Amino acid sequence: MQIKDMKTQYTLDSGQALEDGQRSDTMTINMGPQHPSTHGVLRLILTIEGETVVKAVPDIGFLHTGIEKTAEGKTYHQALVLTDRMDYLAPLCNNLGYSLAVEKLLGIEDEINDKIRYTRVLLAELQRIASHLVWLGTSALDLGAQSVFLYCFREREMILDVFEDLSGVRMMTSYICPGGLQAELTSTFEKKVRAFTSIFPDRLREYHDLLTNNQLWIERTRGVAVLKPEDAIAYGASGPVLRGSGIVWDTRKAFPYSGYDQFDFDIPVGSNGDVYDRYLVRMLEMEQSLRIVNQVMERGIPAGPFRVQNTKIAPPPKWQITGSMEALIHHFKLYTEGYRPPKGEAFVRTESPKGELGFYIVSDGTAKPYRMHVRAPSFANLEALPTMIEGCLLSDVVAAIGSIDIVLGEVDR
Amino acid sequence: MAITAVSTVATIREKFSQAVVETNDFRGEQTIVLQPASLVAVCTYLKKNLHYTYLSDITAVDWLERIPRYDVVYHLLSMRDQNELRLKVRVGGKNEDHPSVPTVTEVWPTANWFEREVYDLFGIIFTGHPDLRRILMPMDWTTHPLRKDYPLSGFDLPEPHWGGQIPYDVDPGVGSQTLRTPFSRELNESRSRFSHTQEPGTEK
Repeated sequence: MQIKDMKTQYTLDSGQALEDGQRSDTMTINMGPQHPSTHGVLRLILTIEGETVVKAVPDIGFLHTGIEKTAEGKTYHQALVLTDRMDYLAPLCNNLGYSLAVEKLLGIEDEINDKIRYTRVLLAELQRIASHLVWLGTSALDLGAQSVFLYCFREREMILDVFEDLSGVRMMTSYICPGGLQAELTSTFEKKVRAFTSIFPDRLREYHDLLTNNQLWIERTRGVAVLKPEDAIAYGASGPVLRGSGIVWDTRKAFPYSGYDQFDFDIPVGSNGDVYDRYLVRMLEMEQSLRIVNQVMERGIPAGPFRVQNTKIAPPPKWQITGSMEALIHHFKLYTEGYRPPKGEAFVRTESPKGELGFYIVSDGTAKPYRMHVRAPSFANLEALPTMIEGCLLSDVVAAIGSIDIVLGEVDR
Repeated sequence: MAITAVSTVATIREKFSQAVVETNDFRGEQTIVLQPASLVAVCTYLKKNLHYTYLSDITAVDWLERIPRYDVVYHLLSMRDQNELRLKVRVGGKNEDHPSVPTVTEVWPTANWFEREVYDLFGIIFTGHPDLRRILMPMDWTTHPLRKDYPLSGFDLPEPHWGGQIPYDVDPGVGSQTLRTPFSRELNESRSRFSHTQEPGTEK
């Protein structure tokens, strides 16, 4: 290349300014769908000027698997299995939201007894801790704190042990189903939960020791990717992203479901809306979730059936099939055709670890949902990402993506 | 007097009586069905005067046999009074392939992506939207998958071959939606016309 050409390319003079006064020396780079720090298949088209991000455009849809369309072809009980796979780091929370929506449609909310409700709260809070542990491990890993990752996954293994004990499956349990739970609680379940709750407070203190007052962590996260409260509400952000910006809103307190109003817990709220505040909100949420789990264990899960007694919705116990004709018929009808909710629609909001998870189910009286739509919290939180990172350095983009805790499975469905 | 969802429905019925088509109360959830033309006016009133500052969700339902065909559904939330509300707009005439609804991005900026998703999956155009393009499907997709007349496995499937595999000399055409592995010969695998050794887009 001639020296003359190099000069033309690399020297900036005022003639290079565009009409609107912007400099033309921005570069558009692709933070592609395959990237270790995008927490999934997220593509960001960043326009950077030096090291500063001028414009960010997310491109999603790489994990779109047509869950909403598939659910239209499955019965309500079958579609439950699809819901695990959306927010794959908190499957029980998805199951809970779906089950509440279907139960609302069916009109059987009053028949859900305390045992079912308290078990659901217990499992949802354990799932919240598990999801936040993954968040902590991966976002610390992105910023360089590599040892936190394995510590978090070590704790998460104990929670997955609990799920495996109950349902046989570590992650995609589908354990919470419309009508109650899929199977009876096991005898070893409480021991495993107590094993976890007895060691977790110390571990949580360890994570705080490692990161919260760590100068490097503070430099990377304080003041970075600020989301102002008005923007948070305008962009529909929810969960720790909304609370990190100072808005006091938690669906478990505002529209209590599944017995949450009977438990004592606080909502951590940040003040600055930066990455550090969202980090602290989630750390404190883990503590509060542990508090709820301890309360459920202390109160004890009451005895009772683990699913509604209405055999037109929940299948009868297997042993009855050989003796009772009705049990056989109900079992057959439920597993071939499925139950038919009345015509109507229901929208139920729950607080998933990522934010406000909503299930909108429209029934036309048949055994399959006519339309199932999932209001994914990560979808709206991701919409707020460009506002957060425009003006930040490129390395702050990684911190920001980690702090909003997106799961592409639910963004794309 | 505190604002509740029920009182909101009454207020809207009173203030915008021509705009309201019907209201509904199912399992305690309030729904207001509006005329599309007055959507933005009602939404602005709901946000500014009745404090429904949070838009949770926009979605659509395809009622294939009905005219108007689509229901565009908005779920609102009032954080101040802890109320939920659902708004619906019915669009889609007899042969209207791309019905249109005014956008509410001016009222709630979060509507941007939700409306893009509805456009992408249903084909409903939001007039006045700043950036209406596909969001989940690939950029060059031509059809709208969540419509009821769109098959679950997509188009371009080979005809069912009763009793066995596709005969090897049948060319099923571009079935890229069912292409799983390039060289497998499973049932219903469709061999696309794309060459597996040449980069797409560079074919002559």
